[in-house]
Amino acid sequence: MIKKFDKKDEESGSGSNPFQNLEKSAVLQEARIFNETPINPRRCLHILTKIIYLLNQGEHFGTTEATEAFFAMTRLFQSNDQTLRRMCYLTIKEMANISEDVIIVTSSLTKDMTGKEDVYRGPAIRALCRITDTTMLQAIERYMKQAIVDKVPSVSSSALVSSLHMVKMSYDVVKRWVNEAQEAASSDNIMVQYHALGLLYHLRKNDRLAVTKMLNKFTKSGLKSPFAYCMLIRIASKLLDETEGGHDSPLFDFIESCLRNKNEMVVYEAASAIVHMPNCTARELAPAVSVLQLFCSSPKAALRYAAVRTLNKVAMKHPSAVTACNLDLENLITDSNRSIATLAITTLLKTGSESSVDRLMKQISSFVSEISDEFKVVVVQAISALCQKYPRKHSVMMNFLSNMLRDDGGFEYKRAIVDCIISIIEENPESKETGLAHLCEFIEDCEHTVLATKILHLLGKEGPRTPQPSKYIRFIFNRVVLESEAVRAAAVSALAKFGAQNDDLLPSVLVLMQRCMMDSDDEVRDRATFYMNVLQQKQKALNAAYIFNGLSVSIPGLEKSLHQYTLEPTEKPFDMKTVPLATTPITEQKTEIAPVTTSKLPEKLAPSRQDIYQEQLASIPEFQGLGPLFKSSEPLQLTEAETEYVVRCIKHTFARHMVFQFDCTNTLNDQLLQKVVVQMEPSESYEVIHYVPAPNLPYSQPSSCYTLVRLPDDDPTAVSCTFSCTMKYLVRDCDPNTGEPDDDGYDDEYVLEDVEVTVSDHIQKVLKPNFGAAWEEVGDEFEKEETFALASVRTLDEAVGNIISFLGMQPCERSDKVPENKNSHVLVLAGVFRGGHDTLVRARLALADGVTMQVTVRSSEETVVDVILASVG
Amino acid sequence: MGLLDKLSGWLGLRKKEVNVLCLGLDNSGKTTIINQLKPANHSNHLGPLSEEWKHVSQTQAQEIVPTIGFNIEKFKSSSLSFTVFDMSGQSRYRNLWEHYYKESHAIIFVIDSGDKLRMVVAKEELDTLLNHQDIRSRKIPVLFFANKMDLRDAMSSVKVSQMLCLENIRDKPWHICASNAIKGEGLQQGLDWLQEQIAQSTENNEHMNE
Repeated sequence: MIKKFDKKDEESGSGSNPFQNLEKSAVLQEARIFNETPINPRRCLHILTKIIYLLNQGEHFGTTEATEAFFAMTRLFQSNDQTLRRMCYLTIKEMANISEDVIIVTSSLTKDMTGKEDVYRGPAIRALCRITDTTMLQAIERYMKQAIVDKVPSVSSSALVSSLHMVKMSYDVVKRWVNEAQEAASSDNIMVQYHALGLLYHLRKNDRLAVTKMLNKFTKSGLKSPFAYCMLIRIASKLLDETEGGHDSPLFDFIESCLRNKNEMVVYEAASAIVHMPNCTARELAPAVSVLQLFCSSPKAALRYAAVRTLNKVAMKHPSAVTACNLDLENLITDSNRSIATLAITTLLKTGSESSVDRLMKQISSFVSEISDEFKVVVVQAISALCQKYPRKHSVMMNFLSNMLRDDGGFEYKRAIVDCIISIIEENPESKETGLAHLCEFIEDCEHTVLATKILHLLGKEGPRTPQPSKYIRFIFNRVVLESEAVRAAAVSALAKFGAQNDDLLPSVLVLMQRCMMDSDDEVRDRATFYMNVLQQKQKALNAAYIFNGLSVSIPGLEKSLHQYTLEPTEKPFDMKTVPLATTPITEQKTEIAPVTTSKLPEKLAPSRQDIYQEQLASIPEFQGLGPLFKSSEPLQLTEAETEYVVRCIKHTFARHMVFQFDCTNTLNDQLLQKVVVQMEPSESYEVIHYVPAPNLPYSQPSSCYTLVRLPDDDPTAVSCTFSCTMKYLVRDCDPNTGEPDDDGYDDEYVLEDVEVTVSDHIQKVLKPNFGAAWEEVGDEFEKEETFALASVRTLDEAVGNIISFLGMQPCERSDKVPENKNSHVLVLAGVFRGGHDTLVRARLALADGVTMQVTVRSSEETVVDVILASVG
Repeated sequence: MGLLDKLSGWLGLRKKEVNVLCLGLDNSGKTTIINQLKPANHSNHLGPLSEEWKHVSQTQAQEIVPTIGFNIEKFKSSSLSFTVFDMSGQSRYRNLWEHYYKESHAIIFVIDSGDKLRMVVAKEELDTLLNHQDIRSRKIPVLFFANKMDLRDAMSSVKVSQMLCLENIRDKPWHICASNAIKGEGLQQGLDWLQEQIAQSTENNEHMNE
């Protein structure tokens, strides 16, 4: 308990809060004075406040204690103290879901809502609607209808808003109040009108026609309330968005007319709606942008902020429109409101030219310490985007980022900076050393475990390959001495990578590793012991397999396989090759910098697409003996987009079989297809063993049928094959309205496009973080080399793209990106061939007249090398 | 009565406040009875209402609807000010009565004299009430209203008291009154009895305290 209080103290900081350290049981004890007569309103008020405070702090109230407190509170209705009564309403609302039998106050609240005291009526309605369920709603319906059209605005508003909440619960009952809401919508009070419009819209939002009618009515008759106008604009723009109609519709005219409204809020809403519309032409955009431009020089900070924020959001979409406001934005840089200044600068950064970058960066750094974390992240995002646009400016950026990194800031902010630095390092090899140095400095004093481990991993990957690897060792080992378990473990792994790659550092690393073996944490000790033993072997292959390149299997798959293995007692050792491989995360080697997003949560191990397929296929009895799923291809369209039947094919490769999954969709509403199979005629010695039909294919409900094919055993080099496909099925005509099919049908068929199996279907991508080590590990036992001339290809980029997509292997060491102005390039690819054979390809490309390519293939299996070379040739 | 008047004179102008629970089956006339007892009826001899009473509905309600949960009503008699918890009589809410037993000083139990069929139900509820741990050991006065005397087939108050076996209640003061809530007949008589009982028990308490 004491510890808990300490924590609370820290959080609340100053200690000025009179309610801190409240104890629930003590408060509930105090609540007994509710039962005393006469009632002391002051004391009761204070206790109710405490209860509500506790509830809002997330304190858990058990049903019994909550009910007891609630019933004690109901007695306070005998007091006529106004403040106390309104506090009771609040308490009722807060406890509505945690106490039992809250309907006990129904009559008391009904009395208050129909009473003479106007201050009670609105709050009583809101409280009543919180405790009412569908069955009770009928009993109060009459009062609600009266309240909606009440002449007191607060009563009418309360009733409307409460009705809106109850739409979710009992749509049908609330729908009967439309006439009353309609009447309230013509009220003179701006809030009542707004709330009435809201209720009307939510009652009709599923019926587009009704919404359109309502919009027409209100846009014609006009409204008093600016809030209602804003809402109309939002409804209209949503409707425009859904209908995807042209912008010449009356809805768009309405929004545009709102730009001339006399209320600024309405004008802004209209401008924002237009600017955010997809595919807006420059002519349509112009009036909206000029309105925003006008707002930029408004004396009201809120308007300036709204305008610059909107411009910032659309800066990437409509750069030319936003550039028109550049002059106004420049003026805002010196705005006394730092949030406005930040948004102005980042907008300029997004649209600005390379030459203005330096000046803008200087201006940002002058006030970056004065803005909140949230805006600092916005700045970092802008910088990250800028680095992508002007890679040559990286030194300016890097300096700036490292300064920001030294400042105080929260986790999101620091992560944004670290991500940004890492992406700059990956993009610009020449910035690597400075970047790593900044990051090293950062982890010297970093409280975020996630960031520290991330940086240590990066150091382990990049550090050993820098000219002076030894200087990073100190930073890494400091972590082992000073930090928490997770960071220590990461540091040990990083150290091991240095030892494995740099022979002259190995003795020192071994000494350090020895010390790590005394660590108090199991994981750290285990890792140290493991790496120590591997390093002492001094074998390149071992280093490559166990230190540089970790497991490449899918983790959920491994878990499942191990579970399966433990279920069946067997003498055989567990075979890693039976575990499905992880599909390489696409983010790993993306060429463009992924925009630093703030919402990126620590990624959970979500099952990948392939894991899902694996599960689906395993549930079909015919496919159970096939072993683990090796690879699933991307879906392949076998029909045109707008045909009667839409079919796409996914190729699933197993160790000795392939399963073709055909996802079929029937777009004819007067037909029901049954027993749908796709018949396949192979061109090579592939053998179709089994068809799994889709029993029913009703209109617009996709269904899948499968074809199982055995791969030729005798000729392992036959990796490619073409299948001609025909969909066969039984048609039963049916009534388009009811979907009721006729009794008898007829057989029919539909010719699909061919499905091709190529070498890439047999190879799964695997990322080897350290290709060189992997290359040595596989060895040159089955190495083959051949030279080809790619006559049809004009550039290196094109050649690289072609090779990658043809072989379906993972480019490593960022070799898929060809540096500009180079005549030669080395592309390295890694993959695993069906059956679990590691396969590596090195392609040296030279640009002359066309592209010449020298391909070297290494694998743990000879046939694989032959297959790949043969298929390239 | 003379003694009571003296007592209230002693204590100053402030009248003693008592909590009364009004119980009984649904449609027995509880809310109607309380409505009849409200100040509007007695305004002539109570004088204008003081500031603190302003928020309580002063006038009688025009129509009576089934109570859901409970209502709190206040009215004054010559020597006491009553706070009545008018509970809902519908079966699904009857289990909520017990939440209010502890703090009540008196109980009004209303019976529909014309509803012979449900007299057993009323008896059942009464027995549960009297055997409840918060009621059993207390010498709390119970006033019965044999209501709806205007009905043609209404039973007499004696008959009602027999059917409910009221003579078995020995440890609590009780009294049964024939009443017609719509016209207000018999209510004052019952209330006078209640007032007397409460005054007595207060007196006893004061003696004991001395």
